[in-house]
Amino acid sequence: MECRELIALALEAHAAADPESTGPLRREISEHTEACPACREELARVEETWSRLGEDPDLPMTPQFRRRTLALIDDEMLRARIREFRPARRFPRAMLQAAALLLAVAGGFWVARASAPKSRPDRTASGSPAVSPAALESAGSLSNVSYRPADPQGRIGVSFDVTSRQTVLGKPEDPRMARLFAYLVSRGAQTSGEKSRAIELVSTHYGSEKTPASPDVVRALTATLRKDGNPGVRKKAADALAGFQMTPEIRTAFLDALRNDRNPGVRLVAVDALAAAAKDSPDAKTIESLREKAFDPTENGFVRAKAASALKAIEF
Amino acid sequence: MRDQSASAEDRRLLEQIRRGETAGAAELFERYAPALLRFADRLLSDRGLAEEVTQEVFVKVITRAHQYDGRAEVSSWLFAIAANACRDRRRRERRATIVPLEGVPEPAHKGEGAEAKLLTRERRETVREALNDLSEEQREALILARYHGLPYSEIADVLGISVGAVKTRIFRAVETLKARFTPGETTWNAAN
Repeated sequence: MECRELIALALEAHAAADPESTGPLRREISEHTEACPACREELARVEETWSRLGEDPDLPMTPQFRRRTLALIDDEMLRARIREFRPARRFPRAMLQAAALLLAVAGGFWVARASAPKSRPDRTASGSPAVSPAALESAGSLSNVSYRPADPQGRIGVSFDVTSRQTVLGKPEDPRMARLFAYLVSRGAQTSGEKSRAIELVSTHYGSEKTPASPDVVRALTATLRKDGNPGVRKKAADALAGFQMTPEIRTAFLDALRNDRNPGVRLVAVDALAAAAKDSPDAKTIESLREKAFDPTENGFVRAKAASALKAIEF
Repeated sequence: MRDQSASAEDRRLLEQIRRGETAGAAELFERYAPALLRFADRLLSDRGLAEEVTQEVFVKVITRAHQYDGRAEVSSWLFAIAANACRDRRRRERRATIVPLEGVPEPAHKGEGAEAKLLTRERRETVREALNDLSEEQREALILARYHGLPYSEIADVLGISVGAVKTRIFRAVETLKARFTPGETTWNAAN
């Protein structure tokens, strides 16, 4: 054995739970250190270090945690059995509906195109003037495009919104920018993705001392947390609100989310935010809500555990 | 190497879980929950998070029992799930890396006086601080070796690295800790 191998081998021998399995290795180490004072000294330091690590006693498992987790295991096993025995649909209804809709749209469009006159349309069905391609080019992009099948006169229709891209530049502290963000969060963004992006920007730019969140922004986010149908968007809104200074309005929104939101991820954010605020200024409603969650046997295990550990950290 | 009968028993319990028998999951919990809780506690220094991680391990075992391919020990699989969950928690909850030990309830020490308790606490804090100063990779490997007695081959399975990498991580971790716990000159040189 060479000196440079000694410590690594000694560590391996120390780590082994079964000392018998490393008997020959230990003997070899012992023989080497008897003849090598430098290694003997070094090994003593390593052994002392190894022993010092033992001064960190093991965390005991509490009976409450054991009981809680066994209950969670029971729930999960039941869920797993339900998943296993749920009859699988041969053809999911939604897929069939989507396929039928696609066929109908494609067929209608093909019939309409085949029977349409060759000349350019002069007026729309509603009587508004036709839009020339040249005008379209200068107007910008088209959105919300839809097609109408042929009418009794054989005319087909194409409907769209003509938009041109607008860019608004402004500092976050400008109230008009805050209003624009509030509008995007509450109504303006059309898809969940656009809304999530707007909320992310709000999180990035608002909530600091320099740019506190405006009442408009807070109102838009609390409304989103309460009403948005997409749990991902609600969670984004909750995350953003958690970064703001706690106000009665935000606290009420989090208490509502903790009580009513169907998504455990959103409820976890609510627990975190409420617990963090309650550490500084505990309030009865927050403590009561956390206690309810911690002892609610129907609640998700993670939410229950989080509420329980949050309560522990709050000084009543 | 782990006891063959213990290993076979673990696989039998996992088979029970696959068949939907709650008793298998409960038995596996009794066998491994204390160790997983200690492992997560030393990685996260937060009892609440450590309990969450331990619960998450068993929820995942139940929902993914069919994914266990039998190449590694069941215990390695459980520790690997716990290690991943801890990494996720540390990423998500940056606070966990700086949570002071005041937030961690003391393990009970029966019959200790106030002075002895204080001394125990101080020693414990010193060790935790030293562990927290190691890199995450070194800490994981060292904790599995020092506190769980896992052989290097099993640590390699848990962390998804080679045995050589395990040796290196543990060696470097001990070098760092040694300089902290036993400061002073040394005449020893690895190149000797």
